[in-house]
Amino acid sequence: MLKTLLYINEDLASSIALRFTDYLSRFVNLSLFVAHVEEPDEKEQVGTGWVRRTWEDGVASSGKRLVDRMLRTENINCPLAGRPKIFVGEMEREMIFELRNGLYKLFIKGYLDSADPEPFYDLISSSLCEEMSCPVLVVKNLSLSKRCALLCADGVDPRTLVEQSMEIVGESSFELDIVYFKFQESDQVQILDSREGGSNLRETESLLAAAGKTVANTIVLTGVPEQIGDYLKEYALVASTMPGRKSMHMYVLAHSLASVLLVRDTAQKQQ
Amino acid sequence: MKILVALDGKSYSRGIVKEVARLSEGTLADVVFLGIQDSKTKVSQSLQMLLHEYQQDLYSYFRPDELPYADFSLEKWQKIASGDWKVSAAGMKEFTLRIRSGSVAKAVVAVAGEMECDLVILGCDLKCGCEWDGEINVPLRIAEDAPCSVLVIKQSGNTQEIVSILDQSEVHQEAMEMINQLVTLHSAGLKIIGVQEKNEDKNDMLEQRMVELLKYYNDRAVSAWVKVIDSAMVTDYVTESSRKAIIALWMGGKQSLLKRLFSHSMVDKLLSTSSSSVFILR
Repeated sequence: MLKTLLYINEDLASSIALRFTDYLSRFVNLSLFVAHVEEPDEKEQVGTGWVRRTWEDGVASSGKRLVDRMLRTENINCPLAGRPKIFVGEMEREMIFELRNGLYKLFIKGYLDSADPEPFYDLISSSLCEEMSCPVLVVKNLSLSKRCALLCADGVDPRTLVEQSMEIVGESSFELDIVYFKFQESDQVQILDSREGGSNLRETESLLAAAGKTVANTIVLTGVPEQIGDYLKEYALVASTMPGRKSMHMYVLAHSLASVLLVRDTAQKQQ
Repeated sequence: MKILVALDGKSYSRGIVKEVARLSEGTLADVVFLGIQDSKTKVSQSLQMLLHEYQQDLYSYFRPDELPYADFSLEKWQKIASGDWKVSAAGMKEFTLRIRSGSVAKAVVAVAGEMECDLVILGCDLKCGCEWDGEINVPLRIAEDAPCSVLVIKQSGNTQEIVSILDQSEVHQEAMEMINQLVTLHSAGLKIIGVQEKNEDKNDMLEQRMVELLKYYNDRAVSAWVKVIDSAMVTDYVTESSRKAIIALWMGGKQSLLKRLFSHSMVDKLLSTSSSSVFILR
């Protein structure tokens, strides 16, 4: 089972993330934990010792009520593997700490999709994503699809993409596609012959075949990031390596309507 | 639910009957077909016949055992006021033919108010942007002034997407259901676009509205994709999306951001430049 930590707050992004995680659990065998961090204002923080502990208990109780409300409202079917984890402090720091200590294999966080790519870049370049010990699934939408895409392009390391994403979806019942994209100004997204894909595409295919995985479709697309992002709504999730800033790869992921599974080279993670 | 359909003898009116039939079937609505004429004193027989033809056409889209409307004869037309005639039949649901004299836009808005309709539907001529024969700015004036939601249907092939744009204003279940019907009717995908502004409280309310919508559609197994855009981007976004998607604008009350952003000229521009149908939701 995939030990998974889902971060929830009381907002639309978390509502979608909860529902999507529930949906994901039909395809991937999850051992699901949920977490929430209460981030009090500095002004609210009081005292030391017993006074501070009492205050923290009060804040944590309020966080627990919030998580209970969310779980009750969303009424998910996927069982939780343990009690909700409530922390008081700074969200990114608490989550990094919990992910490392808990040896989680996957972190899930909701993200309210925006037409502006900047908030997406801010999220994936945040210390939370940078220092994370496991892949992160950025949930943007509840796509009720049975298909999962591996997003491939120039500049994507096929080995990292295949090895790391297969750790998450390799044993799932998702139908697997490879989507290779090229940037080109155009009125609409165009599907090219799979021979138009670069060497990265062929290497990705070979690695998946060597791992014994069946690819349902290999799709080579050209267009601008908005068009390709829109095309990706056909998928429940899109697996990708971490993109660089200002890269077309980043803009495609930012505009993807489907949720994005971001994996990173293990050597990079240890640095 | 009550649907008012404004009709004349042009092809843009003829082309909307099938869509009206499917919408009225999906919502089990009372339906009013409205024709407009110049004369205040004598009802036009050709207009009576035309509305009757449209009514027969709509009935033909239902299986006989599922038709919720009763049949009626043309002899039962009644004058209900000066320049105002109607005939109706009550089955499980009521179907009314009505003829009114005067300006098209004013008559449609007035009848929609009098009959407490939930939705006005009309077609428009694509050649001139979005016009009705013989009177200027009919779709725009109806979209602006009607007391209820307005759907302007353009016959432009298959629509694969409904783009539903909302601000923090309250959303009503009837309007949500109308979108649901359109999604089903066109087998289209649904995008819910929230327009954000600087006021954090309003953005929290917007999220709340989006949660309501998302739950409503998810519970009905409709895949809906959500996205937020900045208020400064909304007109460009709508213009771009309207090339291939039906645009549904949720216009709220005085506080509505969209109402402020979509001034008279913007709605006019949207109606005339959009290649697909436009839905103004209230």
